[in-house]
Amino acid sequence: MTKRSVSLADDVAKAVEAAAAEDGVSFSAWLSGAAERQLRVRQGLRGVMSWESEAGPLTAEEIAAGEARLARALSGVSGAVSGLTSRVRRRP
Amino acid sequence: MVARRGLVYGVGALRAAAHGDRSVWALHHAALANGIVPIVPAPVVAEGFRTEARRDRMEELLAGAEVEAFSEDAARRTGELAARAGTTDLTVVAVAETAARRNCAVVASRQTALRQAAGLLGHELVLYAV
Repeated sequence: MTKRSVSLADDVAKAVEAAAAEDGVSFSAWLSGAAERQLRVRQGLRGVMSWESEAGPLTAEEIAAGEARLARALSGVSGAVSGLTSRVRRRP
Repeated sequence: MVARRGLVYGVGALRAAAHGDRSVWALHHAALANGIVPIVPAPVVAEGFRTEARRDRMEELLAGAEVEAFSEDAARRTGELAARAGTTDLTVVAVAETAARRNCAVVASRQTALRQAAGLLGHELVLYAV
């Protein structure tokens, strides 16, 4: 475990303290988890770009449809992710 | 309806991604763009790598996922639930158990088995079928 000294804005520090208490973890563990999650998001978006380099970029419509499905799923509504396997777009 | 905190991927989601299903990739992109890292139980990864040839695509998907380790406790919970559900498909049960414990929606294909396992936990499954 590496120790680092970091500076946080007062309101951010208070919010982190509250969130850590709510989640039942230490201040450090909460910050570490947040950093880990952010790094995973970055790696994941690079993974999507890697897939797109072979399959072609997601269109604005596809991205909007994905956002809409995510919003419905998080609001507790079931649905379907239509299979478009046969319509995989390829770069010319 | 109860709001969910994230997504859990089943084998069907990995399979769809490996087959290049653009809808699944778009949903995955949306999750990441909103700061949500989908969860994949370790047995699902094992089954995906057992059955799918396009491991490179699964690796690309898993780069943006939290693979939840299959701990001793999780193994016991999953085994007990599988026995109650009368199924040998541990991946389905692991997905349902993870979704219930972490309050997540599920992206998967085995709808009937997932709903049965979730029902035994008293959990209302939010399922996006692939």
